[in-house]
Amino acid sequence: MRWPGRTIWDTRIQGVCGILTVAGDEGIEIFGSASFAQVSLDPPRVIVNPNRTYGFEPALRQTGRFALNVLPANSRKQMIQWMRIRRREPQKEKQLGLKMVEDHHQIPFVADSLRTLFCEVESTQDSGDRKLYIARVIESRVNRALEGQLPLLFSQVTDDSTHPRLRRLFRTTLLLSGALDGSKKLKQKFRPAQPANIAKTTYDEAGATEPEIETILKPGITDRSRYLTPPAAPAILTRSIGVCVVGTGWGQTHTQYLRMASPRVRLFVCGRNQAKTERIAKISGAEGCFFDLEQAVNDERVNAVTLALPHDVHRSAVELAASAGKHALVEKPIATDLADADAMIAAAKRAGTILMVAEDMHFRPAVREAVQMISSGAIGEPLYFMAHSAGVRRPSGWAADKDRLGGGVLMDIGVHYVRALRLLMGEPDSVFASRSMQINTKMSGEDSAQLVFSSRFGWEGHMLLSWSSQRGHLPDIVIAGERGTIYLWPGARYFDFYPVKPRFLTQMISYVRPYSLQTRLMKPGLQRVRLHPSDRDHTGYLGEMQEFVAAVSEDRAPVTPPEDGRRDLEIITRCYEALALGRPVEIDSIR
Amino acid sequence: MERWQGQQGEPKLSSPYIENSIIESAVGLVLVKTGEVANAMTVSFFSEVAHHPTALWVSIAKASYTHSLLDQTSEFSLVVLNQNQKQIALRCGTASGRDQDKCSHLELYQNHAGFLFLENALASTSCRVQQRLDLGDHTLFVGEILESELESRTSHLRQLLISDLKN
Repeated sequence: MRWPGRTIWDTRIQGVCGILTVAGDEGIEIFGSASFAQVSLDPPRVIVNPNRTYGFEPALRQTGRFALNVLPANSRKQMIQWMRIRRREPQKEKQLGLKMVEDHHQIPFVADSLRTLFCEVESTQDSGDRKLYIARVIESRVNRALEGQLPLLFSQVTDDSTHPRLRRLFRTTLLLSGALDGSKKLKQKFRPAQPANIAKTTYDEAGATEPEIETILKPGITDRSRYLTPPAAPAILTRSIGVCVVGTGWGQTHTQYLRMASPRVRLFVCGRNQAKTERIAKISGAEGCFFDLEQAVNDERVNAVTLALPHDVHRSAVELAASAGKHALVEKPIATDLADADAMIAAAKRAGTILMVAEDMHFRPAVREAVQMISSGAIGEPLYFMAHSAGVRRPSGWAADKDRLGGGVLMDIGVHYVRALRLLMGEPDSVFASRSMQINTKMSGEDSAQLVFSSRFGWEGHMLLSWSSQRGHLPDIVIAGERGTIYLWPGARYFDFYPVKPRFLTQMISYVRPYSLQTRLMKPGLQRVRLHPSDRDHTGYLGEMQEFVAAVSEDRAPVTPPEDGRRDLEIITRCYEALALGRPVEIDSIR
Repeated sequence: MERWQGQQGEPKLSSPYIENSIIESAVGLVLVKTGEVANAMTVSFFSEVAHHPTALWVSIAKASYTHSLLDQTSEFSLVVLNQNQKQIALRCGTASGRDQDKCSHLELYQNHAGFLFLENALASTSCRVQQRLDLGDHTLFVGEILESELESRTSHLRQLLISDLKN
């Protein structure tokens, strides 16, 4: 039965799939395409029409040389992944796992393609939202290892189901039996479709006018705001080392996670309160304890120290450890001001010792998984980051003193979420800060703060930090994108994903009438996809300890250098400036 | 495409388009009608131009009969063939419309706007030429996509590929 085509894809002119590759200024740029073809025989030329809103097009415009890599049929997953990946993701080739190589043509190409054409652009033709690039083929190279294999066809990737063969068989059966046509006719009878209009429907689904392209390109063609990457897997300690936990408050948590990190850790504890230190040493199975930091760092059995101390003594403790040639893991924030942070980094560099800032957010498995989901395009363009950390807390002692803590809740808790923001979204370019009335008058620092971050790459971040209100049953981090939203829960072994595209049950219920029944049946949870990272620890504390002791044992730099902690502090410092000024403050670009 | 060399049975093809194709591609037919004259020509040099305005391109050898017909009209149809339509591709790709009426062997029909479409093809699309670009021995015709029709009974089949014609 004949049906009217409704979009350009219905014309079936998209045939063979390929990856176009070009050497850009900031690395390789790639573009997946099914709309290229040979255009003349002698000389052999091809035409490609890359999307102008992708990084590939400006790079091609600049270099004028590219490779057209025809994909074999077994590349279906890669092509589907390409179609899902967000447009502005940098280093797409790495996300897709493409093996890129280069030879005397100095054009990067895909090693595992069926055939590669090395091309040089001869002319271009403006044609609406795409531009035709007419290119002469310099060399056509066949991959002998894949000879005889069929190319990947566009029709094979438009069905992105996990069981394409089964689905195809089912569809073919319906088609040949006439059931599909029958059901279509029936649907037409009850709900007649609008007359087909290829131009309008194609434009609505994927086309763009010049002003639209201008708007799309405003926040940058590639989002290069993210510098940090969480480690893919926890590190493993390869040899026995002696680690002394300094501090008997939060230090108790250090001892627990160091014990869990590896049986190869020989544990020591250091604290000023003798009885408490001995008790912790006994409970944690430490080999010994010290009551003075100098004594601890000069003990031969100790290779490294973890510092869980008041923030204002971080600098002196790190300098002391470095002078004794001992590696140090210092709790966040790295220091109370940037001058101290710089001095600490310089001291460790001079001594050739490792300095790492204990930032659990960097190792939180759910954050790592969320970063992977964002990179793979699960939520499309990430637009909003929202962090909400609130819990009634009454800090006392040094933690209630803004000079010793370095501030209030913004310094103590804000650094965690600044790191989360940097991992999940990228580096912010400006911040506006405000706060509600002070409730806790027993602390000299602020007990609440609200921050709004902006990026020139088009995303926004919001943080609400409070020690005078409760968060309730809410996630602590939400990342909202055009195709979905990720909810991270503190202390949970899972995280949630809510795709924009209706899931099966949601879709089915949307057909239920009357609406009152539909409303009753439709629950938000039906759209939820609950995901469980397989890590032993869900907090990130274990991961940070494992990384530190592994870096010490392997004598290598940790995956998160102290400069990361310094940057967190720099951003927090700008937040305080914004709070004082009552207007947005620029944040310097990362050095 | 060059003349079909075979005389009976399975057509044997000797065409530079097949022998010298440097890239795998789908195969289709360009159908042109001027007055009482209609012609069908096998093509593999075609693809998409843009999503807005919605357009496709097809590259036609200047020496071909189809090219001369396209000089007289600005309308054509592009038919994408399915994997079982190899014989149609060979017959329409190895003889010139100047010598024989290739359309008489084809199951053609006219859509409501008078464009020639092919029965059982994957899709038939009507186009109006917007631009012509000289590429030496070929001309690139950029056509605005007007309408299209799909055949559901063959929609499970894949496109006919240039490599299918080599085998």
